[in-house]
Amino acid sequence: MNRKTITIVFLFLSVSVLFAQKIISRDLRVGLVMQQTQYLYNENGVGLDYTCERLLDKKIHIKATYLSSRLGSAIGTNALKQDYYVFGAHYYFMSKKSLQILAGLNTGLFVVDYENPAFDILPKSSAILAIETGLQYDFKLPITASLTAGYNVRSGNGVDIPGSLFPVFYKLSIMYRIKDI
Amino acid sequence: MKLVYTILISCLALIACNPQPEIDNATMLDGNQINDLSLTQPSKYLVSEYIANPTTAQKDTPVIIAAHGYSATTFEWDELRDRANLKKTFYVSQVLLGGHGRDYADFKAATWENWQEAIKTEYQKLTTKGFKNIYLAGSSTGAPLLVEMISSGYFNAFTIKPKGFFLIDPIVVSSNKTLTLVGLVGPVLGYTTSILETGEAGKWYVYRPQESLKQLMALIDLTRKNLEKGIVLPTGSKLKIYKSKIDATADPVSAPMLYKGLKTNDGKNVEIEMYDSDLHVFTRLRGRIGVIAKDTQNQTAAFSDMELQVKL
Repeated sequence: MNRKTITIVFLFLSVSVLFAQKIISRDLRVGLVMQQTQYLYNENGVGLDYTCERLLDKKIHIKATYLSSRLGSAIGTNALKQDYYVFGAHYYFMSKKSLQILAGLNTGLFVVDYENPAFDILPKSSAILAIETGLQYDFKLPITASLTAGYNVRSGNGVDIPGSLFPVFYKLSIMYRIKDI
Repeated sequence: MKLVYTILISCLALIACNPQPEIDNATMLDGNQINDLSLTQPSKYLVSEYIANPTTAQKDTPVIIAAHGYSATTFEWDELRDRANLKKTFYVSQVLLGGHGRDYADFKAATWENWQEAIKTEYQKLTTKGFKNIYLAGSSTGAPLLVEMISSGYFNAFTIKPKGFFLIDPIVVSSNKTLTLVGLVGPVLGYTTSILETGEAGKWYVYRPQESLKQLMALIDLTRKNLEKGIVLPTGSKLKIYKSKIDATADPVSAPMLYKGLKTNDGKNVEIEMYDSDLHVFTRLRGRIGVIAKDTQNQTAAFSDMELQVKL
């Protein structure tokens, strides 16, 4: 099973599980995520954000994001093709208000494709560990926008982590909001 | 509120102070007593100085203009020059990058364009003297300086194009990712300190001013962006990348970035060879401690290959 299939299955199962629970109030946001890594690539993709009353009265959000330079800097250029599979848990301050402050921890997998067997001796993947913080705004329309900055605690070191995993990143998310599902 | 003001004022004071290092003039290249020998004996290092009026045979002999890395000196290419002197089939012209091999103040004031100027000057002098088989080699930061000369079309103005380029442990991405934060933390730190082995003392700067680190970051970021767009070598030129698979200075990911971004004039890929080494600039062994047989084999293999390439 390739990575794309795993991602689709993961997203499908996640959504199925969410809809299977009907007792508590839950919010789901799905949409586009754009990431700019400082001094490196623009990497775009899709994201999912889930919260419910059980998660500290919707103060904690669980997130899943797929980002890739294939949908950003690598389009029509020689930029390396690299993918992020990110899962995060973020705490939301002022969660009942339109403008919220968020902070959290991300983990996941980073994979880079060098497209040449000469580079098979280089590290091609790494676990992700990152901190992230920023602002989120819930518009009156069912749209949520967030602007965050983050720091990859694990980043390329010239030894065992791919060198194109850079530390500082900025993210803009635009998501469709489904409340009280 | 007082606490907020105190923190703010402390931060501003830190940013404003830009600390200066303590330089030992007697032992450090950063001081005003030790300089790179090419400054006082240029004819020993530069072929344009060594051969004032070249014969026809000398003009046909391959010359490798060798550019060293950030904070280093001509010392980095001494071993290739020694090999050239022994073989007598090619010359090595060791250029000292601008702002290097002098003192801390010069290093602090120099831009990457200043670093590059020495390479351009030697290429211009050699072509003017009629040398026909000119190659350029860059180790570490010497490599992006050469790549920028290619991407900016520097060689277009010359009738005599370079025959080839050799990039040894080229840096496009730094292994130390703190360099990407130099704009933020640089003014607070003022400089960073590197630890030299005994045999390296007086050959490298110990202190790296934040101004020069910003220049390094600007150069490698520009190089990466140009590689993403694609860079075509001058007509008839070839290029080979020699890269250690583990490198705590120039991240090995620099190699695939260069490989993808560079093409010969007829659209072919450049050559790449990854070395089983954990040394940065694995072709320089002099001055290092703990050199093992594998390191010597790697150096010999790379030098032999370069020698073979200039013969072709």
